[in-house]
Amino acid sequence: MPKVKRSRKPPPDGWELIEPTLDELEAKMREAETDPHEGKRKVEALWPIFRLHHQRSRYIYDLFYRRKAISRELYEYCLKENIADKNLIAKWKKQGYENLCCLRCIQARDTNFGTNCICRVPKSKLEAGKIVECIHCGCRGCSG
Amino acid sequence: MASSKGANTYNRQNWEDSEFPILCQTCLGDNPYLRMMKEPYGKECKICARPFTVFRWCPGARMRFKKTEVCQTCSKIKNVCQTCLLDLEYGLPVQVRDAALKIQDNMPKSDVNKEYYQQNMEREMALNDGVNPSGALGKAMAPSDMLLKLARTTPYYKRNRPHICSFWVKGECKRGEECPYRHEKPTDPDDPLADQNIKDRFYGMNDPVADKLMNRYTSMPKLEPPEDRTITTLYVGGLGDKVGETELKDYFYQFGEIRSINVVSKQQCAFVQFTTRAAAETASEKSFNKLIINGRRLNIKWGKSQGQIGTEREEKEEERHNLAPVPGLPGALPIPPEEISNNFFNLGPMPPMQLRGPMPPRGPPHMIPMFMRGPPPPGVRLPPPPPGMMPLRPPPGVMPRGHVPQMHYPSQDPNRMGATMQNR
Repeated sequence: MPKVKRSRKPPPDGWELIEPTLDELEAKMREAETDPHEGKRKVEALWPIFRLHHQRSRYIYDLFYRRKAISRELYEYCLKENIADKNLIAKWKKQGYENLCCLRCIQARDTNFGTNCICRVPKSKLEAGKIVECIHCGCRGCSG
Repeated sequence: MASSKGANTYNRQNWEDSEFPILCQTCLGDNPYLRMMKEPYGKECKICARPFTVFRWCPGARMRFKKTEVCQTCSKIKNVCQTCLLDLEYGLPVQVRDAALKIQDNMPKSDVNKEYYQQNMEREMALNDGVNPSGALGKAMAPSDMLLKLARTTPYYKRNRPHICSFWVKGECKRGEECPYRHEKPTDPDDPLADQNIKDRFYGMNDPVADKLMNRYTSMPKLEPPEDRTITTLYVGGLGDKVGETELKDYFYQFGEIRSINVVSKQQCAFVQFTTRAAAETASEKSFNKLIINGRRLNIKWGKSQGQIGTEREEKEEERHNLAPVPGLPGALPIPPEEISNNFFNLGPMPPMQLRGPMPPRGPPHMIPMFMRGPPPPGVRLPPPPPGMMPLRPPPGVMPRGHVPQMHYPSQDPNRMGATMQNR
């Protein structure tokens, strides 16, 4: 089933440039969704979804803010169409959150002691040699 | 059945609601800054099956999360940790502790009786000050030797390690280094220690750990009193510089009258001689493997009997001196009476004194250090040396071995005639 289009308006200029990449990510997402859960841990099941979601948002964010390759119209169209996650991008603009993996990892209210996820701890603050894989999205550290 | 914990009000009054868990040092872990999660009525007690407040915490880095398993009433009845069910004071299984203190605790195990018993115990505990353990344990508080020997004095954090990764055991663990479980070979399933159960551990029956500890206690080294009833001397080793005669006297006087204390500082040991055998036996029992004076653990042994020392000495002398006997000597001379030095009370010959090494038969001790482990204690009459041996000895140090000295007359030994003080 194709993605539901929110608006009847045709996409702005430059859409045809980013469309193949987005289609490819979309296909990968479909694959991840239909992937069997057997042999995975309970928490592992959603990790590929989170990773692809992050990748897609990151692609749009980079094109607009870093490489300045797409127009504002196209960027806003992508946000509106939910191709990029605007809440996640909003976090990326803040200092210290430039590489944030997902929004669940900074949701302190969901944890027992009101803390952020382990992947939000800078490598320098962790004990040496500790391998981190957060349970929300499988992030191995997104805080420098 | 009510769907939520809060809605179930049946018999609600005896649901436990506590602010703080009852835990041992080991279960708490090494970090003094501990965060705990508290869940009121989170689980049912594994002994009495009533809901209780569950606490959950991580006892340090690379440890597994622990939680309380039994309710506080159950824990107080047995004075055990809520998590590991080991005694709070000694860190020992209930079975070992009860055996050591000789407690017979017949807790009911059927449902109704259990409830009634819990209710009575709770009422009793409410009257108690809450500091001392209640029940049979509170009445039988006499620390036994067994408890002191088996008890853990320091926390044993190895107990908090994560469990063994069951996937790794099957060869299927895909998490590798990241795996929080232990990648180790599991213990032998036939090992009795592998089959433990929380109820048995709580009630103190068929506890394999307790059996192991009891076996360890029975196989601990014991000091057997020697057969020779005349031995009343204890050897005390490992004195170091800190322990002297006064300290030893201060400790050993409690067991009976001490005849002499003889400190050999060179060997860092001492010989404590009691007047009676009974005193020596109590002293050895009470101090073997547990005597610590000034921070030094002292090593207690029985002294050797005089007979053994004699034979040892003979052997030694034989190999040392191959001197020709004096011809025409009328055998051994009688030893001069001892009144010169020590026999103040005109006591009869004393029981033989034991030394670890052989005693010098005569001669100033400072001249033959390698031959002598310690000066003979004052007041001990040296046994007459065997007749054949006595005249063979040259004055030590006078002539080197293998030199000319062919003859040795007893009169050459100044000590023998009382010319010098008995070696002090």
